Amino acid sequence: MSRPILEVKNLSTSFFTDDGEVKAVRDVSFELYPGETLGIVGESGCGKSVTAMSILGLVQRPGKIVGGQVLFKDRDLVKVSSEELRQVRGRDIAMIFQDPLSSMNPVLRIGFQIDEAMKAHNKIQKDDIGPRGIELLKQVRVPDASQRIKDYPHQFSGGMRQRAMIAMGLSNRPEVLIADEPTTALDVTVQAQILELLRDLNQDMGTSIILITHNLGVVAGLCKRVVVMYAGEIVEEGPVEQIFENPQHPYTWSLLRSLPRVDSSKHERLRSIEGLPPDLIAPPPGCEFNPRCPFRIEKCFSEDPDLVPIGNAQHVACWVTMTRAFAEMGAATITDTRPGAASGVRPPKDLLEVVADLRTLAEPEVLETLTADPELLERLSGEPTALERLNADHPAVIEKVIETLSDD
Amino acid sequence: MATTVVTPVPTTEYSGGTIAREQVSLWRDGWRRLRRNKLALAAVIYLALLVLVAIVSFFWTPYKPNFIGACDTYQTPSPAHLFGCDELGRDSLSRLMAGTQVSLFEGVGTALIVLVVGVTVGLIAGYFRGVVDAIISLIINIFYGIPTLLVALVLVVLLGQGLVNIMVAISATIWMDMARLVRGQTLSIREREYVEAARASGAKSGKILFGHIFPNALGPIIVQATFIIPVAILTGAFLSFLGLGVPPPQADWGGMASEGTAAIRYVTHIVMFPSLALSVTLLAFNFFGDGLRDAFDPRQRR
Amino acid sequence: MTRGTLIYIGQRILLIIVTLLVVSFGVFAAVHSLPGNAFVSAHLHGQDLKDLLHQYGLDRPIPIQYWDFLKGAVHGDLGTSLQIQGEAITPLVIRELSVSMELGGSALLITVGLGMLFGVLAAMRQNTWVDYLLTTLAVIGYSIPSFVLATLGLLVFGLWLHDITGGAFYYPIQWTGTYGTLAELSVPAIALGLYTSGQVTRITRAAMLDVVQQDYIRTARAKGLKERVVTLRHALRNAMIPVTSILGPLIVGIIAGSVVIENIFGIPGLGKEFVRSITAHDYNVTVGVFTIYAALIGVANLGVDLLYTVIDPRIRY
Repeated sequence: MSRPILEVKNLSTSFFTDDGEVKAVRDVSFELYPGETLGIVGESGCGKSVTAMSILGLVQRPGKIVGGQVLFKDRDLVKVSSEELRQVRGRDIAMIFQDPLSSMNPVLRIGFQIDEAMKAHNKIQKDDIGPRGIELLKQVRVPDASQRIKDYPHQFSGGMRQRAMIAMGLSNRPEVLIADEPTTALDVTVQAQILELLRDLNQDMGTSIILITHNLGVVAGLCKRVVVMYAGEIVEEGPVEQIFENPQHPYTWSLLRSLPRVDSSKHERLRSIEGLPPDLIAPPPGCEFNPRCPFRIEKCFSEDPDLVPIGNAQHVACWVTMTRAFAEMGAATITDTRPGAASGVRPPKDLLEVVADLRTLAEPEVLETLTADPELLERLSGEPTALERLNADHPAVIEKVIETLSDD
Repeated sequence: MATTVVTPVPTTEYSGGTIAREQVSLWRDGWRRLRRNKLALAAVIYLALLVLVAIVSFFWTPYKPNFIGACDTYQTPSPAHLFGCDELGRDSLSRLMAGTQVSLFEGVGTALIVLVVGVTVGLIAGYFRGVVDAIISLIINIFYGIPTLLVALVLVVLLGQGLVNIMVAISATIWMDMARLVRGQTLSIREREYVEAARASGAKSGKILFGHIFPNALGPIIVQATFIIPVAILTGAFLSFLGLGVPPPQADWGGMASEGTAAIRYVTHIVMFPSLALSVTLLAFNFFGDGLRDAFDPRQRR
Repeated sequence: MTRGTLIYIGQRILLIIVTLLVVSFGVFAAVHSLPGNAFVSAHLHGQDLKDLLHQYGLDRPIPIQYWDFLKGAVHGDLGTSLQIQGEAITPLVIRELSVSMELGGSALLITVGLGMLFGVLAAMRQNTWVDYLLTTLAVIGYSIPSFVLATLGLLVFGLWLHDITGGAFYYPIQWTGTYGTLAELSVPAIALGLYTSGQVTRITRAAMLDVVQQDYIRTARAKGLKERVVTLRHALRNAMIPVTSILGPLIVGIIAGSVVIENIFGIPGLGKEFVRSITAHDYNVTVGVFTIYAALIGVANLGVDLLYTVIDPRIRY
């Protein structure tokens, strides 16, 4: 394969709020190759959009890129001056957004907003200002373009507005187009038209596209490669077909299961993922997906897995992986997808909970011994079943447990 | 993959850790914010002192505020007369103290009148809607279309220069803002479920208005009322400055500033102190109102 | 202009006419029910006074007098002054209106210009010392009554600067001609404009802070526009919408302030005339001035509404 046109390396972006640092994007790396369409998927709030905005330096206060590189044509866009970055924006890398109504200035004419994008980079002769805009609108299949160019955004329908946004994005013939949920705010039939438009542009003009969406169906129709994000991190990456056929991360697997399919039987229920994405101010220790994962093992609570290659250009960040979940936990026939349901692993208690439990179970002097030894407590809390056993056998056993624990 | 149907995946909105925080009592949270606002706190302390001065001035002032000949005319500040004396030889400090009463009465009294009139009119317009609302809205619009200070001037001339008349005249210039605010609040609150429920269970209009709608609009109403006080004091000072305030010899800041302006070629202390008192007092009320709004108006939160 | 807009303008003009009728009648009835009249000061008694009252038609019932006034008013004749006997009111108030508009217009320019400049600066530097300074200045601005500012202006420019420079600098405290010179105009206009500029600062700042959060500002940046263009063309254009909404009350506020300012600086405008007429019981002038003011505000409000449609294309009446 040729050299990537855009390379994101170990990118981290945080928002510094009154409540603490929200680590919206953490250590994200991926490449985009010329002419390629890359999908980035995940639920709302998983860091997709922030990743996209970080690429163009559009993250506003209190947000800030705290680490990593965005390499575009041998330049690190994180480091370049604001003027250099401005020249890249819209000219080399363009971006279109989710809601075309709120993303277009309501008080300026469509044509003006398109022309302005070209004038910002001196890519247009004075005489071409009007005609070029009409040409662009025609290219994105806005009917009656020469009239409609004089309209204001509110006079356009949702789909037409998104076309105009795309026209604006393409006006400088950028090498990369970042489309952030381009179809989410649109009707289903219009969605398909917009996606077709993007596909044609990719094929005819050779524009590389990063498509950000929570909709795996959109990815399937348009992308060659997909990056799955969860809680600000990449959890899985690989060729689209492979990921769809053989997802290795339980999160990807859950996302795919929640996708309605035409070929699924009517009686099969759609399965949403239990729970919510984690609080990014204080993410859970270990793998961030552990509070929602049916296949979690004890290691998932203590160590965060790295993204590792598993062959055939597929990468996954999971201690279990679906191959093992299918082999050992019966994932193929699972109906109960509550956290830990398949593996039977409960989350470890935190120290305060352990002490509280012990207070109800143990005799005072035993408790004293235990609380005097923080290391021991630590081990107790990391051993989810220890307290269950204590519960069963009552005080006499506790001393034994303590003995055995202190012996190791 | 055969999956080409493009349908949004059911997603759950990310809510992070903010839900619990929203449930903290709005009022307690508001007080906490207000206490943290140092400017607002300083304003409250100043205003408390001002009220104290007003009360004290009823019983004691260094000299009788209206006593002509307490000292030489136009005497500049001295140990015996800290703020000097005016063109009739009255002690300026004593008059300044007595003037506090007028400003506070005008401010608070007007706010109370506006509160009663504005809330009643606004509730009626918003609750009964239809023709009643149309007529009230027309009256409000007419008032917005006329120079209200001039209305106040005419009213004062018409009614006479008593303190209560002045309050009524000032109220006539600012009641519309309150009425419009309450009308808007009422229109939106009356559509909420609990009001619907009360109506469905046969509650009387009065009960719904004052039992359900008014308490729920109270926050913005209080904030608005706080801002009426400085506007009323200012309007009162305007009237006095033009010679249509409380009748002489009663001391009031606007009138004193007017006398001072007339004497400005000879001495500056006569105009300086009442102007300063007026400005600082208005500033304090505005800071206090701002603090109150920031603390209690959820729309202002970021 | 669309049909809807024309209908809207028609409705607004109707409201102006209703307002003018209500206001003129209200003021007419009010001032005529006052004890005393303009001739009291002329030391006229007995038959002389009666003759004079009859000559001016003041001995007739108020509704009839008002009807006469209306008949004249629709032809642009607001009657004659009672105190300055025989002086026609219409040319008088029109001349005075032009003087007041010179002052008020300058004050409005200062208010809006300064207010928007400060508001934008404060918003661009949100939560820095610039922001705190400007927002505090704004509150101080509308806490100082305009007559206090005016007096301060008199002190500094009219007296102190004169004394310091040993008489080399001379600022005329009182207006000399009908229309003031630029120097004469500047101090009263600033005193009048500063007070309301605080409100404009606050509104502009709040509007800018709201606007810069909007998606279209992000789009403008993503297009590679210069930050100055993003602020001035994209953000300020939209922030002007809420600022426009307070223009009406702003004009009313400036009119109120001008009444006092004109009296302090001896400016021969409507405000000074109004106070003179009301203290001298010169009823006809009072009614005339009031009517002119109400018409002015009505037209200004209509202008503001039409300005809206220019600034915000989404608004159609």
